[in-house]
Amino acid sequence: MATVSFRDVKKRFGSTAVIHGVSIDIDDGEFVVLVGPSGCGKSTLLRMLAGLEEISGGDILIDGRVVNDLESKDRDIAMVFQSYALYPHMTVRENMGFSLRLRRAENRTIDERVMQAARILNLDKLLERHPRELSGGQRQRVAMGRAIVRDPKVFLFDEPLSNLDAKLRVAMRAEIKQLHQRLQTTTVYVTHDQIEAMTMADRIVVMQDGIIEQIGTPLELFDSPRNLFVAQFIGSPAMNVFDGAVRDGAVEGLAASWPMPPGVGAPTGQQVQYGVRPTDLQLGSRGIAGTVVVVEPTGAETELLVDVGGQQLTVVTHGRVTAKPGQSIKLLPDPARVHVFDTRSGQRLQ
Amino acid sequence: MKRKAITREAQLLLIGIPVFLWTMIPIYHLFLFAISGRDSATSGRLWPKDPTLQNFSVVFQQHHFYLNHFWVQLGNSLVIALTVGALTLIIATTAAFAISRLKVRGGRLVMNLALFTYFIPAAFLAVPMYKTMGNYGLLNNQWALILAMVTIASPYCIWVLKQASDKLPWELDEAARIDGASPLQLFRLVYVPLMVPSLVAVGTYALLLAWNEYLYAFLLLSRDDSVTLSVALGNFLAADDSPWELLMATGFIYALPPAAIYYAFKRYMVGGLTAGAVKS
Repeated sequence: MATVSFRDVKKRFGSTAVIHGVSIDIDDGEFVVLVGPSGCGKSTLLRMLAGLEEISGGDILIDGRVVNDLESKDRDIAMVFQSYALYPHMTVRENMGFSLRLRRAENRTIDERVMQAARILNLDKLLERHPRELSGGQRQRVAMGRAIVRDPKVFLFDEPLSNLDAKLRVAMRAEIKQLHQRLQTTTVYVTHDQIEAMTMADRIVVMQDGIIEQIGTPLELFDSPRNLFVAQFIGSPAMNVFDGAVRDGAVEGLAASWPMPPGVGAPTGQQVQYGVRPTDLQLGSRGIAGTVVVVEPTGAETELLVDVGGQQLTVVTHGRVTAKPGQSIKLLPDPARVHVFDTRSGQRLQ
Repeated sequence: MKRKAITREAQLLLIGIPVFLWTMIPIYHLFLFAISGRDSATSGRLWPKDPTLQNFSVVFQQHHFYLNHFWVQLGNSLVIALTVGALTLIIATTAAFAISRLKVRGGRLVMNLALFTYFIPAAFLAVPMYKTMGNYGLLNNQWALILAMVTIASPYCIWVLKQASDKLPWELDEAARIDGASPLQLFRLVYVPLMVPSLVAVGTYALLLAWNEYLYAFLLLSRDDSVTLSVALGNFLAADDSPWELLMATGFIYALPPAAIYYAFKRYMVGGLTAGAVKS
């Protein structure tokens, strides 16, 4: 178990800078997810921590020790790759014991540790099989087994669930989280899927174009996104956002007047982006008028696409809705849960 | 649908039968000579009147002036071919690993130079090679032929292995590095086991190249007990009155090992030599 720190870490490929000074402090035993669109530098950051990429500037520390120039094998980390990267010519047992074998551990120790890991991951019956004889989910578990056999200071996951189908992904998500709760090993997990990030992380690091947009717990990011990017990236369905202008303590947009969040003041005339999550719009007898375009019942909740002033807004309500396409309805935003962003800087006004 | 399949079959046969005949007729004649008596060898019959294994017995017992060193020469061919196969394999595998997986500096240059060697026909280099081996005092030493053949076989083998290496997933190296493997352990425990099909193909290629070599063997070796069987076969033609039936019997024996090797490894030969030929 260990702490991990990034201090003003930079990465250049040739003359192109891809990470522009990133600082993160990860506590002992914490599960941190790096999330962002592809090309945001999250994988590069992970690979720098793993020792697979050179660090162009700044420091990376594991347990207070600078590891910039340390070989991967001396950093005491284990990594699970998106493609599993299992050795095709070795059995499950050999795959999982490989790192211990390289460290010249005794055969008895290797056997014990492999068995232990296999039991945790439900792999005990597959130990003599080769990777080609396993399903995707089983391969993924072997890759995790290979990581936990070593009892490393830090687990690194690089989009480990991307190659699995949707159902299996949900199951493995829970399995990884359980594993973390059981082992309490510091974990850094990279994904582009914000749902994965929300469901698994203790803290999420949202990245874009090589910089950190925001660090926080899943609900902090959801409730108080620092800027428009985080607001739109986190949450599903995505936040409704439209142009507006401040007038007399409210926002005029989509030919209607929207309430300002309490305690937020802005001068009249300021151009803003108004954001409201689909779950924070309620159907009612009063409020902003709109026309139903599509109704999508999913059982527990209903998703509506509503045309307001020429833009389609998503509304999610619990329970059943009788509204039909073409029908006029009224939407009531929850003032405590709406967000206003400065159009120029994208920052949230508070 | 069915008709289409039949037409296709017919087309394949139309190509297959001529190719089969083209390949087999010379071999059949070789065999025919080998089982014919001295007088009936050139009679022009499709099957000899009195087929005999007498020629093989003469060859095996070295009962002829040209065959005095048959077993030694067969042994020479074998030792040289195996050594060339092994050395080429070591050189090409380590080179491909260093260039493809360790990405050493100058790797591209080495690959380009390797390709460049094929612009010059091997026969062109025979005389310079003879001179070089002379300078090193290796003439008439079997190492001269071994080194020459390794030189000729290596570039192609490096290319084939490099192409095959490039197809191994890069994550395997990274996983091994994180697991704690040194480059040497990576080579031994991960790279070589995964490259086996290509290694068999390339090793066989080098081995057969050396086994079949005539020109260089003829130039670099001259003592009767140091030449390879291919040179000894050539020597049969030195006389006005060559014993054709013995030449063919020896040739038939000489052709068996490559056929056996090829048959044993045919699964690897096709897959291994074409691996990396197309981007997947």
